[in-house]
Amino acid sequence: MIDGLQMAVLSLVAICCGTIGPFLVLKKMAMFANSLSHTILLGIGVAYLIASHLWGGALFDLSTLLIGALAAALITALFTEGLVRFLRLQEDASVGLVFTALFALGITFVTVFTKNVHLGVEAVMGNADILQGSDLKSASILALLNVSTVFLFYRQFQLGCFDQGLARTLGVKTGLFHFLLLFLAALTCIGAFRAVGVLLVLAFLVGPYLTARLFCHRLPWLIFWSSAIGVLASIAGVLLSRHMLDFYDLALSTGGIVVVLIGLFYVAGVFIQSGRKIITGSALSRRQDRR
Amino acid sequence: MSISFWEFFIHPVLRAPMWGCILMCLASSLIGVPIFLKKRSLLSESLSHAAYPGVIIGVSLFALLFPSGEEWVSIAVLIGAFISSLLGLKAIEWLEQKGKARSDAALSFVLSVFFGLGIVAASAMQSTLPVWHKQTQMLLFGQAATMSDLHIAIYGAMALLVSAFLFLTFRPLQASLFDRNYSISANLPVALLEKILFWLLLISLIVGIRSVGVVLMSGMVIAPVVAARQFSEKLQTVFILSGFFGALSGLLGNYISVIGSISLSLTLPTGPMIVLAASSIAVLSLLFAPKRGLVFRMLRVYAFRLRCLEENLLKAIWKKETAAFSDLKKDHQVSSMALKYALYRMKKEGWLIDQNKSFSLTDDGLQKGASLVRLHRLWELYLAEKLGVQGEHIHNTAEEMEHILTPEIEARLTDLLSDPTTDPHSQPIPKRRAR
Repeated sequence: MIDGLQMAVLSLVAICCGTIGPFLVLKKMAMFANSLSHTILLGIGVAYLIASHLWGGALFDLSTLLIGALAAALITALFTEGLVRFLRLQEDASVGLVFTALFALGITFVTVFTKNVHLGVEAVMGNADILQGSDLKSASILALLNVSTVFLFYRQFQLGCFDQGLARTLGVKTGLFHFLLLFLAALTCIGAFRAVGVLLVLAFLVGPYLTARLFCHRLPWLIFWSSAIGVLASIAGVLLSRHMLDFYDLALSTGGIVVVLIGLFYVAGVFIQSGRKIITGSALSRRQDRR
Repeated sequence: MSISFWEFFIHPVLRAPMWGCILMCLASSLIGVPIFLKKRSLLSESLSHAAYPGVIIGVSLFALLFPSGEEWVSIAVLIGAFISSLLGLKAIEWLEQKGKARSDAALSFVLSVFFGLGIVAASAMQSTLPVWHKQTQMLLFGQAATMSDLHIAIYGAMALLVSAFLFLTFRPLQASLFDRNYSISANLPVALLEKILFWLLLISLIVGIRSVGVVLMSGMVIAPVVAARQFSEKLQTVFILSGFFGALSGLLGNYISVIGSISLSLTLPTGPMIVLAASSIAVLSLLFAPKRGLVFRMLRVYAFRLRCLEENLLKAIWKKETAAFSDLKKDHQVSSMALKYALYRMKKEGWLIDQNKSFSLTDDGLQKGASLVRLHRLWELYLAEKLGVQGEHIHNTAEEMEHILTPEIEARLTDLLSDPTTDPHSQPIPKRRAR
């Protein structure tokens, strides 16, 4: 029962990440997603403070999480951009400075308000064993939201990735869609936060895309295969975790296993690809020459 | 219970964490300088996370081999962290060069997969070696309080190693940072130097893990140099300042963390406190550094704008002889506040007399106005005659140049145009006044 729930939640997280991950990587925003995954802790803290004071919301209510995601995306984007534009800091340093500072603030915030150091650790590590039915509900809403947004605005996102100039000429509000992508990324990080922790979301966002990229080159297929690889890793990860517990009495972190599997899939992909190249290499290059 | 500030440096329990934090932060903030100048700051983020599985596996092996040698476990932490960070570095290099992944994708992929591996290893350790697991969990956010004098010896030595290397290779390092191709052609061992630099980054990252923690270690590589860069353009000074800021944040962070736990009974983890101290210093420097800081830059911009406004007003009144406030406001399109302030300053300078809201110039003001008009018309003539520029452009360019032209340039222009009397629009050019 719990295994089924874990599989479902992790797969939904994988679908969330698979649909927006390719756009993030193509827009060179992977490290920005890393910042987001750190700063949502502060976002959640702030949102919790607001929600609990104004309408008595709990820490994991959907409204709290939505506000948290919005706050985190706004804070991160504003600060990182602000440092580059107004304080004239180089980009890598401004990304690094913003997320370490905000994460430190977030950890302090959480520790002071909850008097609980473990919440910080748990936020970083994630814990698939505490998933409940409500997590399944919020994960499905998130997945639905991500998939439908990407489906509706596919053109705009695609143009934003490949040719900002063309997008603007065609009247696409690139800034708006850039922020929409950020917001979705923040939401996804928050949705995954309980299941896999803030840091492992990154593997879900980047890993499946890199693996898919070894084999296919068209964006729709990349999105499909990124999600599929993520789902495969999630299901296999939960099974492996169960197997280790049953046969070796070893309780391993499920989220961690899934991420390691994503890494291994990439390594396997590289080997398969290089094997294929050796076998068909000459034929392939000849065919490309003719083109 | 209250402790005097100096006791933090000598008290047998408190001194180890204090000196430990200072030395570790010194090392990471020094190595941060070349990394920052190479624009690879985010590498430190991935590498510090990549150290995590090594830490866990190192401690586990150590616990299995020497179950009673708890005092020396930090050696296992260091070796394990070094090996796994090095693997992380190799993986990133492979992904960027052979795997054709973009740099940011490679960094975040390696970061998360290594960290995932660490989490799996940690969960395995939790059930098999629960006591040791607790110790490793501390390393996520750093805990300085449990350090002993032995730790300072180890960490201090490594911090000194990093500093000594940077000190000894300063010249070739400087050359390779500023002009890589020149250094290669001058037969400097640039590739070796870069390799060693990355190794030193690894060392200072894993050394810092004890006090700042895996998750936030990169902050200590980035923040001090960001602050230091604001104050100087000389590499030596940036190094010294960065080291100073790093050590200062180590000191402050540890101090706040200890004070918080003693007098406020808050469990403030050391790592976040140190990083908060460092990033506060960085943000303050970004805002208030004398030359490059935002506040002073804005002040300089406003001072220049104000001067331009004053000079434009002088010119306008010089041409009309008297002008009403409302006319000035209409012609110059600035807020009433700015206009009032500019007029007030001009009155104080003694250039302007205010008679029933109508302004006229004093002798000083007339002189100043004439010289501005002279500069404007001289420049117009120069553009038209010597550069062959036609039409609208010359007026607009002259509007800007009149505020920047120096007396020396004015003299050269006068000579070049052989002391002209009229400008291209047949307006008279006021004579130059003897000073």
